[in-house]
Amino acid sequence: MNRIEKHVEEVLKQTQSPDGEREELREELLSHLNEAKSNYISAGLSEKQAEKKVIAAFGDSHIVGQELQESMYPFQRGLLYLIGIVTILFGAIFYINLIFVMHEPTPVWLTVQLLSGSVVTLAAINIAFVGRYFYLLNVLLIINIIWNGINLALMQSLSQLQAMLFSIYLLILIGLNFLFVFRNSYYSANQTDNKQQKQGFVKFSYIMNLLYGMIIIFLSLFFLWSFLVFTGISIQALITLIPILIWLIFYKFQMKLIARKPALSLATGLLVSALAIMLSFAILRFSFGGIE
Amino acid sequence: MSLTMKNISFIVGMILLFLILWGTGYLEGDPEGYTGFGETADISPDDEEIVFIYEHEGESAVYTAPVNGGNAELVAGASEGNSLLNPTFSPDGGKIAYVEQWEDDDEQQLGKLMLIDRADGKIKEMTGGEGLVTEAAFSPDGQSLFFLEAGVHTNYSPIASERPHEFDIYRIDLDTEEMAQITEKAAYDMSDLDLIPDGEALMYRNFDETDQLVFHNLEDGSETTVIPMGDFAVDEPIISSPALSPDGEYVAFSDVARTNENGTYIYEGYRMDLETKQVEQITSFGEHVTSPVFFNNQDKLIVTVDKGFATLEPDYSYWVISTDGEERQRIQIEIP
Repeated sequence: MNRIEKHVEEVLKQTQSPDGEREELREELLSHLNEAKSNYISAGLSEKQAEKKVIAAFGDSHIVGQELQESMYPFQRGLLYLIGIVTILFGAIFYINLIFVMHEPTPVWLTVQLLSGSVVTLAAINIAFVGRYFYLLNVLLIINIIWNGINLALMQSLSQLQAMLFSIYLLILIGLNFLFVFRNSYYSANQTDNKQQKQGFVKFSYIMNLLYGMIIIFLSLFFLWSFLVFTGISIQALITLIPILIWLIFYKFQMKLIARKPALSLATGLLVSALAIMLSFAILRFSFGGIE
Repeated sequence: MSLTMKNISFIVGMILLFLILWGTGYLEGDPEGYTGFGETADISPDDEEIVFIYEHEGESAVYTAPVNGGNAELVAGASEGNSLLNPTFSPDGGKIAYVEQWEDDDEQQLGKLMLIDRADGKIKEMTGGEGLVTEAAFSPDGQSLFFLEAGVHTNYSPIASERPHEFDIYRIDLDTEEMAQITEKAAYDMSDLDLIPDGEALMYRNFDETDQLVFHNLEDGSETTVIPMGDFAVDEPIISSPALSPDGEYVAFSDVARTNENGTYIYEGYRMDLETKQVEQITSFGEHVTSPVFFNNQDKLIVTVDKGFATLEPDYSYWVISTDGEERQRIQIEIP
């Protein structure tokens, strides 16, 4: 690998482009730089000198890479950092509150909270490796949403003022997560060939499909909560989380369908969501013979 | 900084953050246990002494002290880890009954009825300790003790805290130690057992969707419910810690007088004329007032004030108040 190729690789390390797009970028950058290099050589420079000149003229690989990332996926990496750090910060603040105000620190909770935030932050740091798997990113952030949704429910046992402040914080965090998942889904399907009007509809369809997901998460967590309240902790309680799993798997395919057939995917999303909820409800009824 | 270095520094940073937070929580440690007075106090038949529970870092003991304040005297301590509650004088003042509670190995809450003879300091366990006794009251002739025992100590839903339930009233004869079950209600919540002066009826607070003040005739088992008539801050009757006057004509209790700016109920002391059911407010502390007890020969009561109400730890103090609410004085107690 010559100096120019290395430089291009460094640039690409700052972008989250998937493999195909990455290859195109690589070829484009290389051909551009190699052309400049031959120009310098024909102007009388040695090969090494020409490469140095080209690289110096092109700019710092970090900065160019970040600019490239921002032009293709604006704000996505920053958003990811923000979500990760806000999640970690909540862990620290709330744990200090648990220690000094509630007097019952729970290290297990802290572990989960910090892990959830760290995973997101690590994804932001390693955007070149993780970013190309759009679906994986979505799953990571949806897990963050679920966990902070559970947190939101826990806040209700606090005093009024604390409950309000922490709830607002968590709602903002969940909102940021949602924003990221929506944008990430949208970017996952290359939209360049679509007309403006269709793009608007595609965005709408993404938002609606994610809303279905949010409703499923909310309902499943509510089922789980009521299940725990009425029957106590048991392994069967996990049945209530089946709809989330179904929806997450389904969304992997739905993500692509939405970009191609936004109208149809509105219907399939709704259908699968309803079926997922019904299925879990049916299993619960079947295994417990109805609610007594 | 290379990507690998970035990852490593971030992960190390997070581990450090976790360790610092975890360590802080660990060092802060378990709270040392409650230090302070118990919720209820009782007054001796001659109105000279009060009996109460004092806990020091979770270690619980029964004390007496002059009703005008002064040095407390240790009467009995609890076994390690156990807590004491609801001490009460016998009608001649020679004995003190109280309850000792603990958690067994299965984290099941249990409680036994204890009786101490003040003359020789001998402590007797009146119940076996398989059940959960919560409180007791002497019969006016001092021959027997009536007590409340809960069948279970549980939460009917995980979001509620564990509390005793399935209550019934029992009687134990102090000479023969013969036991008899008085009620068969398995009541959701029962408390504040008291006897009318002639000893023919029991009074207790029962919770059956709302608070009720119940009189239970010991002769035929018939029951009457009394509803106080007064001006309270909440519609639903709340009859907290009712106590009978020595002549049996009044009942003192605490109820919600108003709601403060944080939405916390402020309880004050009330007195009801049992004849007319009319209620008058007799305290205006602006703090949580609970557990009134009538003096035997004077127009006064002792109430407990909780300055830590609706916070994590209670902060009880005992006050002498006149029945007209004009006078009030804190009983200053020195614990040895």
